[in-house]
Parts: sequence; structure tokens; C-alpha cells
Amino acid sequence: MFHCKTVEFFYGLIPLKPWRDFLIRRHIEKCPGCLAGLASREEAGSLLVQEAGADIGPSLWAEVEAAIAKDSREKKAGDRTIQPSPGRRWGWAVATACLGVLLISFFFLKDFRPEGTSADAVQARFELEYVRVGGQPASAVIYQPQGSDMIIVWVGKNL
Amino acid sequence: MDEQELIAGSLNGRKEDFRMIVERYSAPAMALAMNLLRNRDDAEDACQELFIQVYRNLGSYDPRRSFKNWVYTILYRRCLDHLKRRRRATELVSKMGRETITATPANPGHSSSPRSLPSGLLEQLKAKERTALCLWANEGYTAREIGEVLRCSAGTARVHLFQARKKIKKLLEQGDVSLQNG
Repeated sequence: MFHCKTVEFFYGLIPLKPWRDFLIRRHIEKCPGCLAGLASREEAGSLLVQEAGADIGPSLWAEVEAAIAKDSREKKAGDRTIQPSPGRRWGWAVATACLGVLLISFFFLKDFRPEGTSADAVQARFELEYVRVGGQPASAVIYQPQGSDMIIVWVGKNL
Repeated sequence: MDEQELIAGSLNGRKEDFRMIVERYSAPAMALAMNLLRNRDDAEDACQELFIQVYRNLGSYDPRRSFKNWVYTILYRRCLDHLKRRRRATELVSKMGRETITATPANPGHSSSPRSLPSGLLEQLKAKERTALCLWANEGYTAREIGEVLRCSAGTARVHLFQARKKIKKLLEQGDVSLQNG
């Protein structure tokens, strides 16, 4: 009896379901004293509506059938509205193909060279202040071929 | 006819097979709904919604699971929706300052109403406790099966059932005492 009171105290003290389940399994379900404080299956059953007294009758099927029929009608109607016509399908196909061609062209035609390959950029990166050839002042031309990182410096004597 | 055959037939669009499913499960489903909702009209609505939902979602049913438990899980959810709606309606009416109409008549069944109790005993239980008690007492379900319906662990289901049985016993004893005094 003392043990039952202790279990009851701890049951109320910690309202955690795993803990309570542990107490139920370890003690309450096995203790005749504790089980006496619980309603039996018969007692509970006497308060509940039983299967035998809960028959709905044929009206339920009639209503369910009507709902199902309505459902399938709506589904069919929905399928019809969603189904595109062949002309529209071709239209979508052509539009998608055009979009694809545009995208591919864009990637082919776009200049993906890194910045700094233009003439201005070459000047900014490479600068000659003064060039002499054979002790004489010479003129220099800096040249970078398009699409290449190579820089050519062409120096010519001033005649 | 085997249950799996009926399910397969329903999935293939055979209405007669689905009708047999409805006939097979309408009484136990109605009993559970009436015990949960304590109102015949609401229970009938819940059952109707249940079977429509079962028909719509039959394709997603996992055959490894018990079909009855699957049906009961759907029904439990539908009943919870009804209880929520009823609570909202009651709150709205009480807010408006009108006389509230309790949607819990004393006679939930036509042919076999449960023993009338002084304090509407089952009303004192939470929906989960009521469901656990009903499945345990009417269907002989174990804690694991109750957990499958309530979508919780067997341990949690055991706690709900224990609470329900304890409350019922206490209220029954109080009822007996009050009847003896009266």
C-alpha cells in the first residue's frame, strides 16, 4: 500500500508521458490494488455506444455514392479543362524551341574574355615611358591579339 | 470477400466493392464517432466524410498496415475537426452573449443509448482519452494499436488509456455515492 502511494505521488509529480508509462508498466498494471482504482473493460463498455446500436443504414452509402459520383464528374471536367488542344501544344513546343535557340546563341555570342584585354586595358597594364634603339629614340607600339593574353611590343627607329 | 480484394476492386473503380467496405466499417466507425462526438448527427457527418476521404485516398493506403486502423485514424481526425468546429461555434455564441446551445444531447444513440450518467461522464474525458477508452473497451485494442490510431507511441497511448480508466472509475464511484445519498 505504501509502495502504491509512492508510485501515485511520483506519477503526479512528473507529468512526462515516458515516465508515467514506465510507472504504469512497472507497477500499476501488475498491482491488484492499483487496478482496483481503474474502470474495467465492462464498466467502460457500459458507458459507450456499441457497434450493434450504431448502424447508420443505407442512407450513408447513398450520400457517399453521390459524393463520389460528383467527385469523378469534377475530376473529368478538370481533366478536360487542363487538357490542352493540339494547336496549343505545338505553340508551346515552338516557343520552347525558340527560347532554347536564343539561350544557346547568347552563350555562343557573348564575349566571355576577362576584363582587361581591350586596348585601354593593355595600356593600363603595360606602359613604356621611353625606348631607345641604337642610342636613338624609337617609337613603340604595344599590341595584344584579340582573345589572347600575349602582348607584343613593336619598336621602330624614328627615321 | 477478402479485404485486400475489396480494396483492389475499389481502386479499379468497382463501386460495389467500395460499397462492401462501407457496409463492413460503417457500424464500428459510427460507434467510435458517436462515442467521441456524443451527437448522432455529427457522427453521421463524420462517417460520411470519412468514407469519402477513404475513397479519395485509397491509393495511398499502405497494405502492410491494418486497414481498420487506417480507417479509424482518418475518422479520429475528422471527429477532432468536428469538435474544434463545435468549440468555435460555442465560443462565438457565448461571445455574442446569447444563450449557448450545447451540442451534446443526452441521447447520442437511437437504439442503444449508453447508460445515462449524472454528469455526462464521457464529456469529462479528453478526445484522446475517449478514443483510447472506446478502442480498448469496444474493440479490445492494445496500447500499440491505440497508438497507431492516435498516431502516438504505445507508451503515450497507455497513459491516455490509464487516465481515462482512472477518471471513469472515480466519476462512477462519485455517481454511485451521490445516487445513494439522493
